Amino acid sequence: MLRHAWLIAALVAAPLAAQKSGPQGDTWETIAKLPDFGGLWEVTFGGGPRGGGEPPQFTPEYAAKLQAFQAASQRGDIEDGPAANCVPNGMPSIMTQPYPIEILFTPGKVTILIEAYAQWRQIFTDGRAHPEDPDLTFNGHSIGHWEGDTLVVDTVGFTTDTFLGNQGMRHSDKMHIVERFHLASPDRLEVQTTITDAQALTKPTTRTAAYGRHRDWTLAEYVCQQNNRNFTTDDGKAGIDLSFEEEK
Amino acid sequence: MRKTNRARALRHVSLVLGSVLGILALAAWTSSAEAHHSFSVFDMQTNKELEGDVVEFQWTNPHTFLWINVTNADGSKTRWGLEGMSPNFLGRRGWSKNTFEPGDHVKVVIWPLKSGEPGGTLQRATLPDGSEVVNFGGAGGGGGGGAGGGAARTGSGAPQ
Repeated sequence: MLRHAWLIAALVAAPLAAQKSGPQGDTWETIAKLPDFGGLWEVTFGGGPRGGGEPPQFTPEYAAKLQAFQAASQRGDIEDGPAANCVPNGMPSIMTQPYPIEILFTPGKVTILIEAYAQWRQIFTDGRAHPEDPDLTFNGHSIGHWEGDTLVVDTVGFTTDTFLGNQGMRHSDKMHIVERFHLASPDRLEVQTTITDAQALTKPTTRTAAYGRHRDWTLAEYVCQQNNRNFTTDDGKAGIDLSFEEEK
Repeated sequence: MRKTNRARALRHVSLVLGSVLGILALAAWTSSAEAHHSFSVFDMQTNKELEGDVVEFQWTNPHTFLWINVTNADGSKTRWGLEGMSPNFLGRRGWSKNTFEPGDHVKVVIWPLKSGEPGGTLQRATLPDGSEVVNFGGAGGGGGGGAGGGAARTGSGAPQ
């Protein structure tokens, strides 16, 4: 009963919170009632939805950016991007690297540890709103809530240094990402990602990534600068450093 | 220790090379399966075979590097640097820091650098005991091996 009253109050208070249903993970007791997201998750390369739906539809301004990039790539003027210099991908691409992620629940917060580039995301599920004028970051500012067994994550505040998907696809600092995490089957996590960006896209674009569960894996260190021999120059040329120091 | 690792590698037949090429070539806008860099510096049309002695195997991020000394036709030696997937990726697919040890005589298949410098991407290697390891996931099982233990272990199933 009490929960109902709270729900109605939330309905009035904020459209996003209106869809909250079931345990919200605000206490250890309610965390125990959430779906089991334990273990490590690695994006699967086949055998299921990955990216379904049509490619993003860009506004003329952003379509021109993409075309200019593609033309430069074809000419051989741009060979690689910032990741070769160990710059993390940022959202949304950081979620689909060929490395596992781990999802942790603590009261009022979901934390996603991302092995690639040793990144993390924190998703506040304590009912707070986004900052009115968020700092612009690679992974953005995330708030979330549960709709039954689905974790819904709303993220804003992105630096425009990152790419929307593949290189050359850009987004504005108004990009808005909504992700829906749910277990499609006991060991398969699906994340439906919808990207809205009125400046860059003529309509929202949606993709779904699937992850396989690996309960016996543990996260491994990923210090990209340890022995990074790949590089991209400021003007986009790729290279590799083959210097070798004889063992002392 | 080393034998054990190699035996493990063989048990975990994983993604076959072709599958991984499929991944890399995915045109989907959704994600670049390539985490770190493009392959623009490598000649992926050429499968170059080399044979040499291991100088060092660097079990490091973001890439492993296998350094081998190759004896040229004129008797001189050239040290080749061969980039592999990361220890994180390979370590979950049967490889270890002991997969290669200094002095091991190995045969490798690489995509050479376009520049002609002595380097490339390691595709696969034949170890001194005759077993084979595949850079993009565990041990080589031949073309049809992709549905083997490794794929089951990763739970992904290799794309066709």
